[in-house]
Amino acid sequence: MGRFSWRWGKRKVRTGLGILLVCSIGLSGCAQGTAPATSSAENGQPGTTSTKDELVLAVGTEPEGGFDPTTGWGQYGSPLFQSTLLKRDAKLQLVNDLATTYSVSEDGLTWTVTLRDDVKFSDGEPLTAEDVKFTFETAAKSGSVIDLTNMADVQAPDDRTVVFTLKSPQSTFISLLTTLGIVPEHAYGADYAEHPVGSGPYKLVQWDKGQQAIVEANEEYYGNKSAFHKLTFLYLDEDAAYAAAQAGTVDIAAIPAAFSKQQVNGMTLEAVKTVDNRGIMFPMQPAGAKSGDGLPAGNDVTSDLAIRQAVNVVIDRKALVEGVLEGYGRPAYSVSDDLPWSNAEAVFTDANLEEAKRILASGGWVDADGDGIVEKNGVKAEFNLLYFAGDLTRQSLALAAADMVAPAGIKINVEGKSREETKKLAYSNAVLFGWGSHDPLETYNLYSSTHKGEGYYNVGLYSNPVVDSWMDKALQATSEEDALPFWQKAEWDGTTGFSYQGDAPWAWLVNIDHLYLVTNGLNIGEQQIHPHGHGWPVTTNLEEWSWDNSTK
Amino acid sequence: MTGRNGWARFVGFKMLRLVSLLVGVSVLSFILMQFSPVDPIEAYIGGDMIRVSAEQRSLIEERWGLNESPTERLLTWGQALIQGDLGTSMIYRQPVADIIQERFMNSVALMAVAWLLSGIFGFALGVVAAMRRDSKLDRLICWYCYTLASTPVFWIALLLLMVFGVWLGWLPVGLGVPAGMSADQVTWGDRAIHMILPALTLSLTGVASIALHTRQKLTDVLESDYILFARARGEHGFQLFRRHGFRHVVLPAITLQFASFSELFGGAVLAEQVFSYPGLGQATVQAGLRGDAPLLLGLVMCSAIFVFTGNMVADILYRMIDPRMKEELMS
Repeated sequence: MGRFSWRWGKRKVRTGLGILLVCSIGLSGCAQGTAPATSSAENGQPGTTSTKDELVLAVGTEPEGGFDPTTGWGQYGSPLFQSTLLKRDAKLQLVNDLATTYSVSEDGLTWTVTLRDDVKFSDGEPLTAEDVKFTFETAAKSGSVIDLTNMADVQAPDDRTVVFTLKSPQSTFISLLTTLGIVPEHAYGADYAEHPVGSGPYKLVQWDKGQQAIVEANEEYYGNKSAFHKLTFLYLDEDAAYAAAQAGTVDIAAIPAAFSKQQVNGMTLEAVKTVDNRGIMFPMQPAGAKSGDGLPAGNDVTSDLAIRQAVNVVIDRKALVEGVLEGYGRPAYSVSDDLPWSNAEAVFTDANLEEAKRILASGGWVDADGDGIVEKNGVKAEFNLLYFAGDLTRQSLALAAADMVAPAGIKINVEGKSREETKKLAYSNAVLFGWGSHDPLETYNLYSSTHKGEGYYNVGLYSNPVVDSWMDKALQATSEEDALPFWQKAEWDGTTGFSYQGDAPWAWLVNIDHLYLVTNGLNIGEQQIHPHGHGWPVTTNLEEWSWDNSTK
Repeated sequence: MTGRNGWARFVGFKMLRLVSLLVGVSVLSFILMQFSPVDPIEAYIGGDMIRVSAEQRSLIEERWGLNESPTERLLTWGQALIQGDLGTSMIYRQPVADIIQERFMNSVALMAVAWLLSGIFGFALGVVAAMRRDSKLDRLICWYCYTLASTPVFWIALLLLMVFGVWLGWLPVGLGVPAGMSADQVTWGDRAIHMILPALTLSLTGVASIALHTRQKLTDVLESDYILFARARGEHGFQLFRRHGFRHVVLPAITLQFASFSELFGGAVLAEQVFSYPGLGQATVQAGLRGDAPLLLGLVMCSAIFVFTGNMVADILYRMIDPRMKEELMS
C-alpha cells in the first residue's frame, strides 16, 4: 500500500501544481542557456568533483516522527544512523551487519543471534546484546508500525548473544532483523527521535524540521566508509524537488514519471527497478457473501475463473508500461516479481486475445445476443474496476486495461472512488491496488485465508487450502532459504496456486520504476529492487556511492 | 474613571467572546474530523500498512486513545487543555505546544513582512488610483488589483518560484534556511533571502483588496461637499488628501488590514506548501491530511486566536484614532 496514506489528500492539488510546473519548466528549456552557472553545472565536470565529499539529496519525505527505529524509522531504506542485525545486499540476499551468525531452532520458535564485538555507538559506548534486547522490547511496546506481536520474549544471556522466542514459527521474522535499527539503552530517552545515537554509517548533526536533515559520517562506524562525509536531505515535495534540481540545488532528486521527459542540465535520469506494483484484485466469492466487517462481498462475474484468466492473458502489459509509465517500468506477473520467493514459472505470455477467447468459451461464456459482451447463464461479463480517485497512474492503468479486455467480450466499468468508499466497495468490486515489499509476509497477507477480509489484506476473500498449507510450511521453515520453495509452490505447484495458471485472484499489471535525477558523475552503485514507496530506499547502499570521473 | 471602566468592560467582553469562540471552534473542528474520511490509524501507519497485523492495529488504537468514543476523546482532550496540556501530535510524536511554538516563529515573521508590505503598498496604490481617477494610472492599478484578486495564491507562488528560483536563479527555490548549512552559520540575511519569495507571494495577493477598498472609499470622500468646498478654496493634490482625505480612508484601511489576518493565514498555508517553508501552514496541511486530531485542534485554536487578535486590534485602533468612536464607548 506504499506511502499513500499521507499523500493522497494532497494529490489533487499536487497534480494541479505538477502540471503547471511541468508546463512552465518545459518553457524554461529555452531560457536555460542564459541562466547563470549553477552548482550542478560545475558538478558535472570531472576533476572539480572528485574532491567534493558532500551531497544534497531530495529523495523522500520527512520522517516527521523523527529517527527512532522503535517507532518506525528505517522501515524503508536503511536507518542510516543505526545499524541492523542483518541486511540485504543488491541481490536482496541476506548478509550480516551487526550479527556474525544466527540460527533458528528446529521448531522455528527460538532464534539465536550472535553479535560482532567491535561495534561502538557514535558516542563511543560499545553496543551489546542488552541494547538489542532493549530495542526489541521498546519497539514491541511502542504501539507503532513495528509489528512484534508474534514475539513472546527476547533475552540477552551474554554480551554477544540475543535469543528471541516466538509465539508461533515465522520465517519472515527475519525481516524485522533486517529493518529494525538498534538503539542504545544508555542514550535512549524521550527526545531520542530528535537526537538519535546509533552505530550506523552516519550521525545526525542537525534537523531543521519541515526542511532538512544534515548528517555526517560516523567516525566509530565499523563497516565500509562512504565516500561522502556530509549529506543533506532536503524534504521537498516532488514538484519542489524537481524545481530544486532545475535550479542546481540538489545532487539527486526523486521525481515522478510525469517529469521524466524533461531534460535537466547537468543531471542524468536513473530508473531503478522495483516491485512497486499495480494490479487488479478480483472478488473471489459469488455475490451475497459477507466480509469480516459484515460488508457485502462477492461478485458473480469476477468469481468465475475463466473471466479472471481471460483478463489476465488478454492484457498487454508491455503496452501499459510504454503508454502509461513512459517506458519506466516492467510488466508484473505476480506481487513479487524477481524477488527470491517469486516463482519464475508463473510468468506467462500475455496480450493474447485468441487464448482469452478460448478460455472464455471453454468456461461457458458466449456472446449469444451479439452485443459484444459474453454471457453465461444470463449474467453479462461486466464488472466495475475501482481506483483511488486522484491517482493519475492508477486511473490511466485502469482505463487502458478496460480497453484491452473489451475485444475479448468483457466489459469493465472504471470508476474513481475515495479511499473510504473503496474500502467499503472493495469486497464486491474489482480494485486497482498497489503492493510490493521486501518481505514475503506480504504474500501471506494477500493470499492466505487467515487474513480474509481483514482491512486491505486479502480483500477478495481468496481461499485455497493447498495454497494455505504451502504458505504455512513457508512460515514454519527455519530459514528464509528453506522457505523459498514453499512460497514458490504456493504461487504455482504444478496443479494449483495463486498465479495466473492457478486461481488467478489478481491480474498484476506493472511494476513502476523509481526515477531519480542524478548529478552527472555521481555513481549510485548497484541498486536493489526497490519496494513500494519512492525515495528512501535509494540510500540503502550509500557506502557504494562515489564520483565517477570517467563520465561526463 | 469612566474611561478606565469602559476599557475594562471592553476587554472583559472581548475575552469572554474569545473563550466562547475557542470552545465553539474546537468542538466544531472535532466534529468535522469525526466526519472526515481520513482514518487516523491508516494515515498513521501509512507506508507500512502491510507489516501491521490486526492485533498491532488495536495496539496503535489503544496507544493513541482512538478506541474511545468521540465524546470521551473530546472530553479527555478538553480536560488536559484546561490544565495547559495541548496533547501529543500523532505524526510528529511531540507535544503539540512545542510544534506550534516552533512553527509559529517561522510563520509569524513571514506573515508580518507580507502584511506590512501589502498594507503599505495596497494603501498607497488605492490612494493614487482614487486621486487620479479614470486616468491611465488608475486603470492600470485597477487592472492589476482585479487580476491579483482573482489569482490563486499557489499559482503566484509557482510563477515566482519559476521565474526567480529556476530561470534567473537569484533566489532559493524553497526552505527557510540554506541547504546543508549548520544552524550556527545561518545568518539573518540567509533567513531573509529565503523569506523573500513566500513573503512576496503573500503580499502581492494581499495588496488587491486593500487597494480597491481604499480607492472606493477615497472616491466617495472626494465627491463630498467639504472636498468641493476645499477645492473651491484652491486646495488640491497631496495637500487636499492630507488635510481632508487621509483620516477618512485610513480607518477602513486599518480595519480591513487587521481583519485580513484570516486571509493572511490561509494564504500562508498555500505559500508555505509551495516553498517548503516550515511554518504553521505546512503543519496544518500535514495534520489535516493525516487525521492528527490533537495537532489540528491546537492549530485551529492558534489560528482562531490569531484572527481574533487581528480583529480586536482593529477595533481598538478604531477607537483610538476616531474620537467619535471613543465617546460612544465611554458614554
